[in-house]
Amino acid sequence: MNEQLILPSAKYKHKVGYLGISLFVVVAVCIYLKYNPFLIFADFTPIQRLLGEMLPPNFSVLWQPTIGKAIAQTGSAAFLATFYGCLIAFVLAFLTAANTMPLRFIRLLVGGFLSLLRIVPPLVCILIFIIAVGLGAFSGMLALIVITVGMFGRLFTDIIENTEHSAADAIYSVGASRLQVIRYAILPQIIPSFIANCLYAFDVNIRVAISLGIFGGGGIGYALYMAMQVLHYQDAFALICLIIIMILLIEKTSDYFRTMILGKEKLR
Amino acid sequence: MTINDFSPKRYYKLVLPTVGLLALIKLTAWVCGAGFDKLGKGLLQGISFVKIMFPPDWSAFPEMLEPALQSIAIAFIATVLGTLLAVVFAIAAASNLTNPIIRNITRFLIGLERSLPEIIILLILIAGYGLGVFSGIVALSLGCVGMLGKLLGDIIEEIDHTMIESLEAVGANKLQVIWFGVIPQIVPNLVSLALFRFEINIRLSIILGAVGAGGIGYELDTSFGLLQFHRGLTAVLVILVMVVGAEQLSHFIRNKIKLKGALK
Repeated sequence: MNEQLILPSAKYKHKVGYLGISLFVVVAVCIYLKYNPFLIFADFTPIQRLLGEMLPPNFSVLWQPTIGKAIAQTGSAAFLATFYGCLIAFVLAFLTAANTMPLRFIRLLVGGFLSLLRIVPPLVCILIFIIAVGLGAFSGMLALIVITVGMFGRLFTDIIENTEHSAADAIYSVGASRLQVIRYAILPQIIPSFIANCLYAFDVNIRVAISLGIFGGGGIGYALYMAMQVLHYQDAFALICLIIIMILLIEKTSDYFRTMILGKEKLR
Repeated sequence: MTINDFSPKRYYKLVLPTVGLLALIKLTAWVCGAGFDKLGKGLLQGISFVKIMFPPDWSAFPEMLEPALQSIAIAFIATVLGTLLAVVFAIAAASNLTNPIIRNITRFLIGLERSLPEIIILLILIAGYGLGVFSGIVALSLGCVGMLGKLLGDIIEEIDHTMIESLEAVGANKLQVIWFGVIPQIVPNLVSLALFRFEINIRLSIILGAVGAGGIGYELDTSFGLLQFHRGLTAVLVILVMVVGAEQLSHFIRNKIKLKGALK
């Protein structure tokens, strides 16, 4: 065997160098945070203790009327936020898309507004809305609307800009007004993916609604937080099971309808 | 087109869904206690509140730097370790590398994790390990595993199979197949997904911080809780810079990777 082949090649040295540097950075950050990544594998006692306290789950808590109301609040906050958020995002998307809005100034203005909404952290949103309208599901819903508009405004804009141009050109050439072009050339092309995205938005919003509930947005997240705070771990475990089932059910339903809509219209 | 051309007959199919939707909106609005009059009053209050928040308290800025660095470090370490763990899960979840039983169990675990928001995982971990950085990092890493495990698993299932077969033909064992046949094929996707997850983790680390994982989110929450709104606004500005910076960095690196991939 030739000894020349055994020597490490330049490429290999490069790779080892990069790997060494990244490893060094990771270890340095770990030390800075005083974080031991192997602790979770080495020390099971806290989780064991917790599981001992959580099992068996106390499912009788689920029959309380407050829990039923909390679920209804989370669901309706997510639904309303999806509806209004998608509606606002839809309108703003037409103002941002290059093929529906001729004025560059308005395009930039609305586009900048959408980017601003996208980067505002959800936490800041909910804190401001809680001060504005008080604790409860309403403030959670308003924060969710802002998040939905930020997330889906850009997406809808891309969808509108990616539509087939020939249909719009054809209608425009026979003398249709701008609104008529939107109604008869662009709207039929984007409606299926718009509805599919609304369903997806609902799926996302349910999760975010639960998270925001913890900060005072009301609903099931708040109920779980309270149960955790007063150390009723058995109740909390029952609520966690309920949340998992709820989210899985909604995800499957939304997936089913989405494939139905997009599959039927042969659009993807 | 005038109003006379508008025939209701064409739209009769829409009437029932519209009425149903309106009824549902009314019902859900009642459940939420939502209303436009309340919103109008609240918006005025909110705007006056935002006015109170200005100007930001710049003297608190140096105090914000350390928590911000901590938040970034939490997101970074959670992304790195979570991605490494996600690769293991993805390999176990790919049908062309493992047997069906392990694959289904892994997919079930990943699905279970994905259905729990990170903040609830954090609450459970806080109950077990107490408040602090540790719970936050583990919660974010698990979120990483849930998202990247599924995406990478799907990517591994679609990779070029000839490479694996040729490695097996010359007598490579399972580990060698994975190291020389699978990993090189998924690395570009892996890096871009990890960067995308890093953006999400930066946002999440702020939210988790408010619950008690430390970092800038905690500063923000306590400033609002203590009614120190000028200080809170400083935290908000630092957070905005952090989020935008992470986004730009991830875009920049992803574009670079894309260009490299195109040249190859």
